[in-house]
Amino acid sequence: MSALLEFDGVCFSYGRKSDEAGFVCDLNFSIDKGEYVAIIGGNGAGKTTTSKLINGLLKPSEGRVTVDGLTTTDHAVSKLAKKVGMLFQDPDRQICKNTVREELAFGLEIRGLAADEIKSRVDEVVSDFGFAPGASPFTLSRGERQMLALASVVICDPEILVLDEPTTGLDYRECMHIMERTRVLNEKGTTVIMICHDMEVVLDFAERIIVMAQGRIIADGDSAGIFRDEDVMRKASVLPPMMIDLSLRLSERADLKDRFGGFSSVDELLEILAKSTSARARS
Amino acid sequence: MAGLLDYSAGTTILHRLHPLAKVFLALGICVAAFLCKNLIVLVCLLAFAISLGLIGGIYRKTAKLVLGLLGIAVFLFILQVLFIRSGTPVLLFITDNGLMTASFVVLRLMTATIPLALLLVLTQLNDLSNSLVKILHLPYRYAFTITTALRFIPVFTDEMSLIMESQTARGVNFDTKNPVRKIRLMIPLCVPLLVTSVGRIEQAAMAAEIRGFYLRTRSSGSKDYAFRPLDATVVAVVAALILVAVLL
Repeated sequence: MSALLEFDGVCFSYGRKSDEAGFVCDLNFSIDKGEYVAIIGGNGAGKTTTSKLINGLLKPSEGRVTVDGLTTTDHAVSKLAKKVGMLFQDPDRQICKNTVREELAFGLEIRGLAADEIKSRVDEVVSDFGFAPGASPFTLSRGERQMLALASVVICDPEILVLDEPTTGLDYRECMHIMERTRVLNEKGTTVIMICHDMEVVLDFAERIIVMAQGRIIADGDSAGIFRDEDVMRKASVLPPMMIDLSLRLSERADLKDRFGGFSSVDELLEILAKSTSARARS
Repeated sequence: MAGLLDYSAGTTILHRLHPLAKVFLALGICVAAFLCKNLIVLVCLLAFAISLGLIGGIYRKTAKLVLGLLGIAVFLFILQVLFIRSGTPVLLFITDNGLMTASFVVLRLMTATIPLALLLVLTQLNDLSNSLVKILHLPYRYAFTITTALRFIPVFTDEMSLIMESQTARGVNFDTKNPVRKIRLMIPLCVPLLVTSVGRIEQAAMAAEIRGFYLRTRSSGSKDYAFRPLDATVVAVVAALILVAVLL
C-alpha cells in the first residue's frame, strides 16, 4: 500500500522560539489510505499546527508534506482542499450560508460542479444525515451545527478527513453521533486523522496514535500499546483512558498481573471476569 | 502575536505620564495638524509625532505604523494630484495647487493618526477608562464601551483570520486578483463573523454584569491618578504647539 500522506523531515515555526506553542520540528510519518489515526498531546504540543500542514494552510519551513503525490508547498490550498477536508473545532467559523441546503452546496459550487450534480449530492446528504434542508444553520444546536459542518466537508468527498478537536463542547450523544459518522466514512475508505483531547474517544475510534510533545513526535503506534506506555503518557501530559488505567493499576499487583494486565475495554474486562468466575465455579 | 495597537509595557517618560495628559497630547497634535497652514510647521509636527514613538521606546511598532500609513498616504496623494486641476500646471496635468493640497492632506492624515495610535500603545486601557471616569466624570458605561470597543479590535481581527482559514480549507481561493470576485468571496464571511462577534459581545456583557458592573461608582478603582508637574509641562507644550500652528 502506498502512503497517501507523507511528512518528510517537516519543521514549521510561526517565527517563535522552539519552546513556544506552534513550533513543530522533525516530523516524519506516513499515513496510508483508509487508516484512522489520532494525533494526541498536551496543549501547545503542535497538533493543530501539524493538522494545518496537512492541507497546506501552513507551509513547512523545512522538509516536505506530500498529499497523494502533491507537495503542499507547490499547490494552493484550494487545490489541496479537493483531497483534504478539514473539520474545525468551532462550526460557527465554517458555516456562512442562510440555509442548510445552501451551506451543503457551497463547497460543491466552489469546485464548479454542475447544478444537477450539486442538487443530487445535496439531496443525498440531506437524507443521509437527516437534515431539514430549508432550516437556518444558526437555529440548530451546537451538535447539529457541528454535524452540518462535517456534512459540508464530507459532501465534497475528500480522500483525507482531518478533524481538529471535533467533539469539544458536545455532549456524549452528540459526540458519538459525529464520531460514528467518521467511522462509517473510514469504513468506506476515507482516511481519517483526528486531533482529540478525549482519550476515551481516541481509544474507541483510532487504530493508530501519533503522540506529540513540544513540537516533536515522541511515539507512533497502535492505540492500546501507546496508552500502556506510561513514559510516553507522562511526557505527553496525557492520561490514558480509564479502562487502560485500571488495567495498568491492577497489573501493578503481582497476584492480579496475569489475569488483569491486558484489557483495554469494559467488554474485555467482563470477558476476563466471566472466565475467572466460571473457572472458580468449576474448581 | 501582539497587534500593532496593543499596549507595550515600559517605564519611559511617556509611559509614566498621566493618561489624560497623553490624551491631551495626542488630541493637541491632531488639532494643531488641522489648524496648521504652513507646510514646514506641519512637517515639524509630523516629526514630533514620530519622535514620541521613539521616546516611548516602541521603535518597531512606530516604524510599522509609519510604513502602514505611508501606503495610504501615497494612494491619497496620487488621487489628490490626479483630481485637483486648479492652479498653475507644473508637469502635464499636475498643478501646483494639486501638489500643495495633496501634501497637506497626507501630512495631516499622518500627523493626526500617529499620536492617537501611540496613545493606545503607550497607555493601558484600564488606566485610560479609569482616569476618564475619575477625573473627567465620564459615566463608566461610556468609558467601558470605548475601551471594550478598542479591546475587541484585535479579537475580531484574529476571529476573521480564523474564519478565512476555515473557508480556505473548504477550497475558497482568496488569492484571486479579480477584485469583484474577491468581494463576492468575502461577503459570506460577514455571517460567521457577525454570529461569533455577537456571541462574544453578549458573553462579555453578561460577565461584566455578573461581576457587578452596575455597582461601580466614580470613586471605584484602587488606583489614583495624580497630576504631576511633568503632566502640566506636557499640557503647556501642547498648548504652545497649537498656538504656533495657528500663528505661523
